[in-house]
Amino acid sequence: MAALQEKKSCSQRMEEFQRYCWNPDTGQMLGRTLSRWVWISLYYVGFYVVMTGIFALCIYTLMCTLDPYTPDYQDQLKSPGVTLRPDVYGEKGLDISYNVSDNRTWVDLVHTLHNFLAGYSPASQEDSINCTSEKYFFQESFQAPNHTKFSCKFTADMLQNCSGLTDPNFGFAEGKPCFIIKMNRIVNFLPSNGTAPRADCALLDPHEDARPLQVEYYPPNGTFSLHYFPYYGKKAQPHYSNPLVAAKLLNVPRNTEVLVVCKILADHVTFNNPHDPYEGKVEFKLNIRQ
Amino acid sequence: MTKKTLEIYSVELSGTKDIQQTDERNGKEKYRGLKNCFEPRKNHHKEELRKELDLDDHKLSIKELEKKYGTNIITGLSSTQVAELLARNGPNALTPPKETPEIIKFLKQMVGGFSILLWIGAILCWIAYGIQYSMNTSSSLDNVYLGCVLALVVILTGIFAYYQEAKSTNIMATFNKMIPQQALVIRDSEKKTIPAEQLVVGDIVEIRGGDRIPADVRLLSVQGCKVDNSSLTGESEPQPRSSEFTHDSPLETKNIGFYSTTCLEGTATGMVINTGDRTIIGQIASLASGVGNEKTPIAIEIQHFVHIVAGVAVSIGILFFIIAVSLKYQVLDSIIFLIGIIVANVPEGLLATVTVTLSLTAKRMAKKNCLVKNLEAVETLGSTSIICSDKTGTLTQNRMTVAHLWFDNQIFIADTSEDHSNQVFDQSSGTWASLSKIITLCNRAEFSPGQESVPIMKRVVVGDASETALLKFSEVILGDVMEIRKRNHKVAEIPFNSTNKFQLSIHKTDDPNDQRFLLVMKGAPERILEKCSTIMVNGQEQPLDKNTAKAFHTAYMELGGLGERVLGFCHLYLPADEFPETYTFDVDAMNFPTSNLCFVGLLSMIDPPRSTVPDAVTKCRSAGIKVIMVTGDHPITAKAIAKSVGIISANSETVEDIAKRLHIAVEQVNKRDAKAAVVTGMELKDMSPEQLDELLTNYSEIVFARTSPQQKLIIVEGCQRQNAVVAVTGDGVNDSPALKKADIGIAMGIAGSDAAKNAADMILLDDNFASIVTGVEEGRLIFDNLKKTIAYTLTKNIAELCPFLIYIIVGLPLPIGTITILFIDLGTDIIPSIALAYEKAESDIMNRKPRHKKKDRLVNQQLAIYSYLHIGLMQAVGAFVVYFTVYAQEGFKPSILINIRVEWEDSNVNDLEDSYGQQWTWYQRKYLEWMGYTAFFVGIMVQQIADLIIRKTRRNSIFQQGLFRNKVIWVGIASQIIIALILSYGLGSVTALSFTMLRPQYWFVAVPFAILIWVYDEVRKLFIRLYPGSWWDKNMYY
Repeated sequence: MAALQEKKSCSQRMEEFQRYCWNPDTGQMLGRTLSRWVWISLYYVGFYVVMTGIFALCIYTLMCTLDPYTPDYQDQLKSPGVTLRPDVYGEKGLDISYNVSDNRTWVDLVHTLHNFLAGYSPASQEDSINCTSEKYFFQESFQAPNHTKFSCKFTADMLQNCSGLTDPNFGFAEGKPCFIIKMNRIVNFLPSNGTAPRADCALLDPHEDARPLQVEYYPPNGTFSLHYFPYYGKKAQPHYSNPLVAAKLLNVPRNTEVLVVCKILADHVTFNNPHDPYEGKVEFKLNIRQ
Repeated sequence: MTKKTLEIYSVELSGTKDIQQTDERNGKEKYRGLKNCFEPRKNHHKEELRKELDLDDHKLSIKELEKKYGTNIITGLSSTQVAELLARNGPNALTPPKETPEIIKFLKQMVGGFSILLWIGAILCWIAYGIQYSMNTSSSLDNVYLGCVLALVVILTGIFAYYQEAKSTNIMATFNKMIPQQALVIRDSEKKTIPAEQLVVGDIVEIRGGDRIPADVRLLSVQGCKVDNSSLTGESEPQPRSSEFTHDSPLETKNIGFYSTTCLEGTATGMVINTGDRTIIGQIASLASGVGNEKTPIAIEIQHFVHIVAGVAVSIGILFFIIAVSLKYQVLDSIIFLIGIIVANVPEGLLATVTVTLSLTAKRMAKKNCLVKNLEAVETLGSTSIICSDKTGTLTQNRMTVAHLWFDNQIFIADTSEDHSNQVFDQSSGTWASLSKIITLCNRAEFSPGQESVPIMKRVVVGDASETALLKFSEVILGDVMEIRKRNHKVAEIPFNSTNKFQLSIHKTDDPNDQRFLLVMKGAPERILEKCSTIMVNGQEQPLDKNTAKAFHTAYMELGGLGERVLGFCHLYLPADEFPETYTFDVDAMNFPTSNLCFVGLLSMIDPPRSTVPDAVTKCRSAGIKVIMVTGDHPITAKAIAKSVGIISANSETVEDIAKRLHIAVEQVNKRDAKAAVVTGMELKDMSPEQLDELLTNYSEIVFARTSPQQKLIIVEGCQRQNAVVAVTGDGVNDSPALKKADIGIAMGIAGSDAAKNAADMILLDDNFASIVTGVEEGRLIFDNLKKTIAYTLTKNIAELCPFLIYIIVGLPLPIGTITILFIDLGTDIIPSIALAYEKAESDIMNRKPRHKKKDRLVNQQLAIYSYLHIGLMQAVGAFVVYFTVYAQEGFKPSILINIRVEWEDSNVNDLEDSYGQQWTWYQRKYLEWMGYTAFFVGIMVQQIADLIIRKTRRNSIFQQGLFRNKVIWVGIASQIIIALILSYGLGSVTALSFTMLRPQYWFVAVPFAILIWVYDEVRKLFIRLYPGSWWDKNMYY
C-alpha cells in the first residue's frame, strides 16, 4: 500500500485555507460566489420556514385534539403525591432540625408556614363556596360564574391550633411543632369509596423503648373532607385549593433525629411504591434540640 | 526485427546460448535494480544483502566445502552435528513477516476512530461524578453508570473490530498453510526423507525434477538439471545448472540452486549452504516485509469522515458548553450537556458496521476467487484506475498450447481454448498423418501415471512446456499417445541440445509390413529445413524447390509475427536394406543420415490468453481503468497477446505499426498519432521519470515487455505520480516490492510465491485476470453502499443532538437520554445499516470512471449537509412532535414545558403543577420523562425506516430500484421494529434503561414525517435526474 496522502506543510495548508475563504480568481467565498450563497440561503430559509410551518401545524392540531378540562391520560398519576410544609431539604429528602431555645433556627420554618397559609386566608378563598356535605361534590355542569365549577373553601382557621392564628409560632417554640400535610391534586381523582381519607403520622422504625408518637390532627381526625373531591382541573375550578391536614407532634424526643412518616389512609391511595418516596406518604427527619 | 525475433523464438528448445546472453545482461541489471529499489529506504538492509551476496561457496572446490561445513559428500552429516546446527541456526524456514503484537492491534482498536471521543465522554462522566461526590457524598451514581456504559461501548466495539480483523487474518493463515515440503538428504551415510524445515547447513541433498529446492544449495553433481528461477529473478526460461563455477556473482553462477526455486528436470546433488532467512529468497522476503503498509484509500476516507464528525461533535459540544455556562448553568451541568452532545454526535456503531460491510464484501469476493487479506483493500480495488498486469498466468493460461499448424502450404488454426475441445482443422491429408506421427514420437514428455480420470488438459506432465503442449495436443487428437509410442518402439534418441538445436529419435513402425525404421526430428524451423531435401505435400513427397522454401518462410514469418514459438518437423523412412532390423544405432557416432530428410510441417505454440480475459479487459476499459501489461516476455509475444486480449485494441497502432504501414522510418512518425505503445525494458532503463510520465499520460494502451521485475516498481511509481490508484499483479519474490508499493498488490494464488502473497493485499485464487474485474465491481459497489450506510447513520445524529440543544436553550424536560441514544446507535440502527451493504448497484457501475481519490470523497459536503440539515432536521421535527404529543396528552402542554427544566429536575419539588393544575411528584415526572425518551426514540426509529428506504438509492427513484429487491433491508426494518418493541414492552420495567411502555398510537405519530421524508427525497432525486449538472444536482447529490 502506498502513501496516498502527501504531507503538506503548515504554510501550504494555511494558504489553501485562505484561498478557500476568499478565492480572488473566481470570486468565491467559502467555496461559493456571493450569488450562489444568496440562492442557497434562500433555499434554506424556504425549507426551514416550511418545516417550521409543518411543526406549528402539528402542534396546533395536537392542541386542538386536547380536552381543555381533562388530560387524555393519567398514567403516572394513579395515586397522589404528598407534600409537607415547612419544606426544608437536606441531602436526602426533608430534613427539619431546629433548636427550641434559639428562635433564629425556627423563625424561617414558621415564616414558610405563614407564607403557605396566606393562600388560605378568607380573602383569597372568597371565590369559593362553603361546603358542609362531607360527600363527594360531583358537578356535571358548569354552574359557577364564567362557565366554571364551584370549589369548596378551605381556610386556615380550619387548622385551629396549627392555623397560625392562635399560635403564630405553630408550636415550634414549645417543641410541639405543627406540620401541614398536603395531598397533590389529580383531575377527577376519588381517593376512597365513601370514607374520607385521613393523614396518619408515626415514627418510622421507632426505638423499642420509645413512646409512640402522640399527634394532634387538625381538622379533627386528620381527615380531608370528601367535598373537596373530585378536582375538575384548573380551567373548571380556577379557585380550587387543596385541602390540608395539620399534624401537631406532641412528644418528639429531644436531641435525637427521628424519622417521621405521614401516610394518607384511603382506599385509592397507595404508599408502597418503592421508587417514589412521596406517593401517598411523606417522610421527614426531625431533630428538635434544646 | 522480425528476423531476430524468429531466431529467438524458434530456438527456444535449444536456445541456452541466447538465453544465457540475455540472462547475463538482464541478470546484472535485475540485481542492481533490486538493490537500488531498497537503497534509499533501508541502507542497513542493503548492506546485509550485499554481505550475503558475498557468498563464495560457489568458488570453492568440493574438498574445501567439505572442510568449511564439516561434512562429507558421501556420508553426509552425523545426527549429532545436525542437532547442534539445528539448535544454532534454527529451522530451515522463512520467518513469517513480523506481526504487530495482538495486544497492540487490540489497543489500536480501542483508541482508533471515535473511541477517543467516547473515552473523553466516559472520563467526563466520572469527573462529573467526582465533582458531585465532593459536594454531596450521597449523589446519584447515574454519571458513573453512563461513564461505564460508554467505556463498555468502546471496549465492545473495539473487541468486535478486533475479532473481525482477526477472522480475516485467519483466512489467510489457513491459506498459507501448505503441505510440508520434504527433502531427500544423506545423513549418517543413509538416505533419508525428512521435512525440509529440518535441513541444516552442510546437509547433502538430492534434488529431482519437479522438486522445490529446499534451501540454497551448492550443486556438487548434476545430470541435465534445469531450474525455474522465475520466482527469484522473474526470468521465465528454465536455467540450466551444472556443478562448475561459471560466474563470480553467486546469483549468476550455475552451480548454485536457490531456495524455493523449482527444479524442472534432471537430477542434482548439492550441499546446503544457507537455510531459512539467510537464503537469498529469505533476504528479499524480509526486505519486502520491511516496507511498511500505508493507509488504504478507504482508511483515508474513513479517517476523513471521522474528522468531520468529530469536528462537528467537538465544536458543537464546546459551543454549547460556552452557551450553557453563559446561560448561568453550573459547570457540572454543562459538562453533562457536553457528554450528551458528544454521545449524540458520534455514530458509535458505524465503524463496526463498516467493518462488517467490508468483511461481507470480502466474503463475497472470496467466493469469486479474490481473497482479500486486508479488509480495507476491498474498496481500494474499486477505486483502482490503473492495473499493471502480468502476462503469464494472469492474462494467459500459463501453458504452451499449439495455436497454428502449417502443412500442405496452408496455415491451420488449432483450438486454444481452455479445454481444446474442438480441433476443426482438416485432418484428412496424408501430411497430417505423418506430422502427427512425428509429434507423437519425437517427444520425451510423458503423463505422470494414474491420471486416467483427469481431463487431458489438466493432467500433470513430466517434460518441458513445448513438449507438454505437443503431447496434450496429440493426445486430444489421436488418443492414447503412450500406446502409440509403445507400438512404435523407440530404438535410438538424441535429446535436445544447444548445439544441434534439434531433437531426433528413431522408431520401429507399427506397420508390420513395413520393416523400415522411421527417423523423426523436430527443432528450430530453419535448422530443420536445412536438413531437408524434400517436402511433403498432400501426403506426397516433393522436391524442395525455391517456391516451397519461400512458402515455408512466409508461413514461418507469419507465425513468428504472431508472437508464437515455431517448431519444424521432418522425418525419413530409413531404407530397409541399409538399416535392417538388427541394425544398432549409435547416437554418438551418428551412424544414420541426418540430412536429405523430408520436411513435413510447422507447428507454432503460444501461451494463449484465458478466454475470459478479453471480456474483462473491455469491462476495465469501459470502467475507465487503464490496463497496462508488464511482462518479462518478448515484445512481439507481448504485443500479440495484448492485441488478442484487447489491451491494445484492434484499431490502435503503435509508432512502429504506423511506420510500417506508411513505409517511413520510426523517427518520422508523429508520436501523437499512436495510441498504443510497446516499450521494452531496455528503453525503459534509459528513460527519465519525466519521459515515463509523458509516456504514461500520452498513450492509453501500453505494453511493457522484457522488463525486469524491478522495473515494475518504477512503472508503478510512475503511475502513482499520475495520481492513479494502481493495482499490480505479480507472483515472483521479486515482485513483492512492487506489490507493496502498489495501492493494491494482487498476488497469484496458484503460481504466486509466498513472498508475493505476503506482500500482496489480495490473492487471486484462480490466477485469473477476470477475477480482478469482479473485484473492481465489488469494490465500487461497496464504496457506494458505504456512502449510503454513512448517510443513513449520520442522519439521526441531528435528531439525537437537537434534543440536547433545545434542552439547554429552551429548558424543556430532556427529550432523549444518553443511554437511549446508545440504544439507537448500537441497537436499532445496526442491522439496517449493514443491510445497505446488500444493495444492488443503481446503474452500471462498471461504466463510469474510477473515483478520483482526492475529489470523490466517501463523505462529502453534500452528503453531510443533506443528512444533517435536511433529513436529520425533518427527523428531529418529527421526533419532537411525538414527544410533545406524549407530554401534552399526559398533562403538560408545550407552553408550560418551556423553561420548566430547573423545577422539573429538582427532586425536592414534589408538587409541580401541569397544564391541568394536577401536581406531580419528582418520580412521577421522571417516569413521564422516560416515556418521553421512549417516544422520542420511537419517533426516530420510525423515521429511520423511511431514511433506510430512501438511502437505497442516491439518484434513481426507489421504485426504479425496486422496493423489495434487497430482502435484507426488510430484515433490517423488521429488526428495528422488533428491537424497539422489546425495549419498550419487554424491558420497560427495567428502570436503569429508562424505557417505558408506550401507548400503541404513539408509534404512529411520526409516520407522516416518515412519509414526508420519503416524498422529499423522491423529489430531490427526481430533480437530480431531470436536471443533471444543475444547481440542484450540485448541491443535493451526494
